[in-house]
Amino acid sequence: MTISWFSPRTQRVHDTQQLNHACVQELIDRQLPEGGWSFTSDTKQSAVEPTALALLALRSNSARERDAAIRFLLHMQNANGSWPASSGDDGGGSGLTGLALYALNHCCAQGMVNNRAVHWLIEFRGWESHWLWKWKFRTSDRHVRFDPDKFGWPWMPETVSWVVPTAYSLLALKHVCGGSQEDLVQHRIRRGVEMLYDRVCPEGGWNAGNGVVYGFPLAPHADATALALLSLLSEPPNDFITVSLGWLERRAETCFAPWSLAWIILALDAFGRPTELLTDRLSSVVDPAVVNDCATLAIASLALGCAHGPNAFGVDP
Amino acid sequence: MKVDRRTFLAGSLGLAAGAVATTLLEKPKHRVIRKQPWSRVAILRVESYSHNLENILHSGLELFHLDVRGKSVLLKPNLVDYIPGNHINTHPFLVSAAVECFRRLGAKSVLIGEGPGHQRDTELVLLESGFSEELRQLKVPFVDLNRDELVMTPLLATYTGMKHLWLPRTVFEADFVVSMPKVKTHHWSGITLSMKNMFGVVPGAKYGWPKNILHWKGIQESILDVCATVPVHFVIADAIVAMEGNGPLNGHPRPLNRIVLADDPVAADATCARLMGLDPTRITHIRIGAQFLGNASVERIDQVAEAVCAPANPFEVVLEFQHLRVTGSAQRDP
Repeated sequence: MTISWFSPRTQRVHDTQQLNHACVQELIDRQLPEGGWSFTSDTKQSAVEPTALALLALRSNSARERDAAIRFLLHMQNANGSWPASSGDDGGGSGLTGLALYALNHCCAQGMVNNRAVHWLIEFRGWESHWLWKWKFRTSDRHVRFDPDKFGWPWMPETVSWVVPTAYSLLALKHVCGGSQEDLVQHRIRRGVEMLYDRVCPEGGWNAGNGVVYGFPLAPHADATALALLSLLSEPPNDFITVSLGWLERRAETCFAPWSLAWIILALDAFGRPTELLTDRLSSVVDPAVVNDCATLAIASLALGCAHGPNAFGVDP
Repeated sequence: MKVDRRTFLAGSLGLAAGAVATTLLEKPKHRVIRKQPWSRVAILRVESYSHNLENILHSGLELFHLDVRGKSVLLKPNLVDYIPGNHINTHPFLVSAAVECFRRLGAKSVLIGEGPGHQRDTELVLLESGFSEELRQLKVPFVDLNRDELVMTPLLATYTGMKHLWLPRTVFEADFVVSMPKVKTHHWSGITLSMKNMFGVVPGAKYGWPKNILHWKGIQESILDVCATVPVHFVIADAIVAMEGNGPLNGHPRPLNRIVLADDPVAADATCARLMGLDPTRITHIRIGAQFLGNASVERIDQVAEAVCAPANPFEVVLEFQHLRVTGSAQRDP
């Protein structure tokens, strides 16, 4: 059962390096025997998102734990090249495939896994790309403002594109095949990038999917905005990115939730914006023993880590 | 208006298709009957959100003679997202009042569970909407149902055509599930009340944010399948400040100064709809839910405390749901 006790809103600011070590140690302690991580420490069901983020957070001197995590992720890969959301899930694939592929590649686990996963990512697309739904969205269902020609990746088959799975997929494809001139890969990357630009919120940043529904502008989400920006890091500078970075910096001023704050730090750091004060704030709200959610602990560790080392999402292929 | 043959044929085909779809949807597709002969609903007047809510709620719960002694109680509020100034979520004061009341009634444990459908950072919603502070003071555990352990669960109704859903273990471990919706209009489903609120048990970690598969399979159908599979034992609906218009996120606040308690989610939702000036028989999941999940008819509802008073001005809804609004009703607010 997932039980969250809430960390005090402000506590003593820890030394970020020490705190990061403590986060990594806590992650190691919570690693399940099969090599994965569950979302929370009181369940035993491994899930792909906490496992991939924890793998990224582990240091090279945690070789045993990293190897176990890599083996687990490789074992979890579906026959069609995708990854499920969690162990026991069906084999249709999930929007977390990009994150799993990105994490494995970041840790130099390549080979056959790449080809199958890349092929699946190229084929997997939001339902708005289908001619029938495209027609529906162009004619009868026009309450959501978007261009169905610009499609990304859905959370699961038979649904439309959303920002987070699109950002994870773009990160993976750009990292794995960034230099590839293969038409199919480049075409898929372009459609995904166009989808993000198409669905940006009027004030900048990204909501879960669309920026305007029923003529009403939606408010951006910090984590979705940060992830979208990270996936656009290699794109030429443009107004969408500039305005969204500005929104993220303003949002950061009042954000105390570890998950969102950590993603904000990673994005701003990747774009060369100052993050010292935000890192101090993250240190004040993260207590590794209290943060029950392993995905949050891992992303907090990655954010703290980029103050003293490379940014795991700061890759510019 | 002049109607040519082509328009007539197209209209006829459209009507025929609509009739076929309606017939298919109305055909019973459930393997469970939760409906009791009678349901009880209490409407309580509440002036504002305050810590005095506990006493009002407790007096309301006494009307139901609930026996939750030794039971584990799961409170399922409606937490979707946080937008400053918008009345999106069940108010934390009402949820904390419910925690105290069920503890006073002898529950073995009380916990709060929710899987926000829009915002991935549940802790951010809790922090910024004031829930964290309330939860900490009450020392009540919160379960993020989006990230809970999942159990593959066969569906007890198949209006969507889906055979199963992965659902959070916590929901099935609870002895007594209380749906605590915010009374709102909804631009995709017309209204969102205690039955629609149960979308929050469908885990984002599996189905994404939002839980888009439920939209593609049909929102009304999905509500029926989820509510058939996850029993709602009681309802405490927050209609102190409700929402009208472009809900569930960007509508306007509409004070009703009421909370609605019920031992049946269909009866609760039918009553809330009437309080909103909307016709529950025109809301598909209430109408079909009344076949097997509960009672929508006033003849089958034992109304206690206040009577149902439809407002002089029904709640504003988006264009597609204008037909839900009841105009010229005999019952009016004084």
